[in-house]
Amino acid sequence: MPKRRDILAIVLIVLPWTLLITVWHQSAIAPLLAIHKACHHLVKEIFIIPERLAVRHRLSGGGIEGKREAGGQAGDSKEYCASDKDIVEVVRTEYVYTRPPPWSDVLPTIHIITPTYSRPVQKAELTRLANTFLHIPNLHWILVEDSQRRTPLVTRLLRETGLNYTHLNVETPRNYKVRGDTGDPRIPRGTMQRNLALRWLRETFNANSTQAGIVYFADDDNSYSLELFEEMRSTQKVSVWPVAFVGGLRYESPKVNAAGKVYGWKTVFDPNRPFAIDMAGFAINLRLILFKPQAYFKLRGVKGGYQESSLLRELVTLNDLEPKADNCTKILVWHTRTEKPILVNEGKKGFTDPNVEV
Amino acid sequence: MATRMRLKLKTVFVLYFLVSLLGLIYALMQLGQRCDCTEHDMPKERTISRLRGELHRLQEQTRRLEATKQPRKESSLPTIFVITPTYARLVQKAELTRLSQTFLHVPQLHWIVVEDSQHKTPLVGQLLAKSGLSYTHLHVATAKERKLQEGDPSWLKPRGVEQRNEALRWLREDRKAQTDARGQQGVVYFADDDNTYSLQVFEEMRSTQQVSVWPVGLVGGMKYEKPVVEGGKVVRFHVGWRPSRPFPMDMAGFAVSLKLLLSNPDARFDGNAPMGLLESSLLQGLVTMDQLEPRADNCTKVLVWHTRTEKPKMKREDALQAQGLGSDAAVEV
Repeated sequence: MPKRRDILAIVLIVLPWTLLITVWHQSAIAPLLAIHKACHHLVKEIFIIPERLAVRHRLSGGGIEGKREAGGQAGDSKEYCASDKDIVEVVRTEYVYTRPPPWSDVLPTIHIITPTYSRPVQKAELTRLANTFLHIPNLHWILVEDSQRRTPLVTRLLRETGLNYTHLNVETPRNYKVRGDTGDPRIPRGTMQRNLALRWLRETFNANSTQAGIVYFADDDNSYSLELFEEMRSTQKVSVWPVAFVGGLRYESPKVNAAGKVYGWKTVFDPNRPFAIDMAGFAINLRLILFKPQAYFKLRGVKGGYQESSLLRELVTLNDLEPKADNCTKILVWHTRTEKPILVNEGKKGFTDPNVEV
Repeated sequence: MATRMRLKLKTVFVLYFLVSLLGLIYALMQLGQRCDCTEHDMPKERTISRLRGELHRLQEQTRRLEATKQPRKESSLPTIFVITPTYARLVQKAELTRLSQTFLHVPQLHWIVVEDSQHKTPLVGQLLAKSGLSYTHLHVATAKERKLQEGDPSWLKPRGVEQRNEALRWLREDRKAQTDARGQQGVVYFADDDNTYSLQVFEEMRSTQQVSVWPVGLVGGMKYEKPVVEGGKVVRFHVGWRPSRPFPMDMAGFAVSLKLLLSNPDARFDGNAPMGLLESSLLQGLVTMDQLEPRADNCTKVLVWHTRTEKPKMKREDALQAQGLGSDAAVEV
């Protein structure tokens, strides 16, 4: 009897210690914990101090903190955060061509949110979009892929441009995806991606910081003039302007009265929407996004053309809108669409070498 | 005595067990939390931000040095003459705008825009003037019988022929006036206004001696068309349609050196050439296949894409116009 008790006692002593030792061994906790924290602090600091170094910030999956991405893609990065099990990978690389304009301490940052998805013209679209963005000072490009994983094509492209960017991804569930290229407005494409970007902004910036920012949703097939970005930089709450080639018209535009206030919408398609405006026709001040953390694009049950309203009505009223582009009389952005290339000669097996990236 | 001792020992053990368990739980909780370890990180952070500041200062210095060096470096580069035929349609301003945004990144580039019209239009004129590029604005109207009608497929008649030939004529005349040897240096590239160009393709073509070639993406019904290179020379072309043509390439897939064009004053595009032979009609008189210079990593990389822009749907606009309520025509789109 005492023997059994003794054994029990010994087991009770040894068990917690063995558990502790195995657990600590697995994660080699103590040194890692310190670095982990350091990464987070560093990330915040690099972003808030406007330095002329590109900061790449990566988040995986649905942006949920609990997920960990095993194995980063940083081959040429200079990492201070040694572990690749970190949620946040901070890669700091020099600008390759010193082409983006120098970062200014005074100009508000323009955060451009672009959802994108894989198709043959994707690399071309992103290339010419990057060529446009390289002219804009204090620009931060948030590119969100509609995919399960960040694709190497986009990763390489972003790295080579030398732009200040953040690369995210979230896959739209199949029942929401648009099959083919019908452009059916009933299914809002890119919604989950834009919402992820909004969430990332809210997690990265806190409302009390002095960093001024403007948020703009730029689709990858539109055409943007350089003046547009300077117009939107002075946004206090939400600014609006005309967009060409939307709603079956030469352009759609807000109606501006003599007092310089928006009182309606010059559109044919449902002008009674709360905000009868295209995604490319407005920009939001970052402060507003942070102060209203519940405002997102509505995913389900959104009627065609109401997607923009689903976000804007939670942020502003018609009266608060600031008309830009010369009281909404100039066209500075065109809703162009790129034709789907006809790949008939590829045949069933594919004529061209699939290893060549297009 | 023995039982009391055992009792004491038991409680000791129980206490010990409990303490260990609590300690373990505490440690496991710590793993998931973000602790406020500011006191550990401050010195590290400070040094890192100090280093960053120094790096930033050094970068500024190098940039300043580069800026002073740039003008001298630029003028020694051969000029790339980009010839773009264009015509008035809804998306014209958008296309030319984003094209100019790409060209602004290329040093020593001269843009020759030739409008298919009777007169120079203010839309194009103002766009070019505001672009900040070095440019020449020309125009020549295509004869009516050669023009595509509404509803014609785009491949029915060759487009931009007169405009490109007009640009070549202007270039030859303009270079005659330039007597120095440097004025004869340059590369000519035919860039349509709806294609997409990476910045690398311009650097690849700058060293052209006669005619250089590279792959073009999304053309000819394929993901890309390209010349096949063996031993540093082009031996044939990998295309999906009529590979037996003398030069089965797209307009965007080659560049010609200015010297070659000047020494062949009659070389131009033939508008009567059958479909797909427009490029060959120019190149046949200039080079043979084995003289072609492959670029883009021996023609393995796609640096230019033959994108096409959809015609925007104007159903509602047309309906409004019929009622006399069309959008303000004074607003330029």
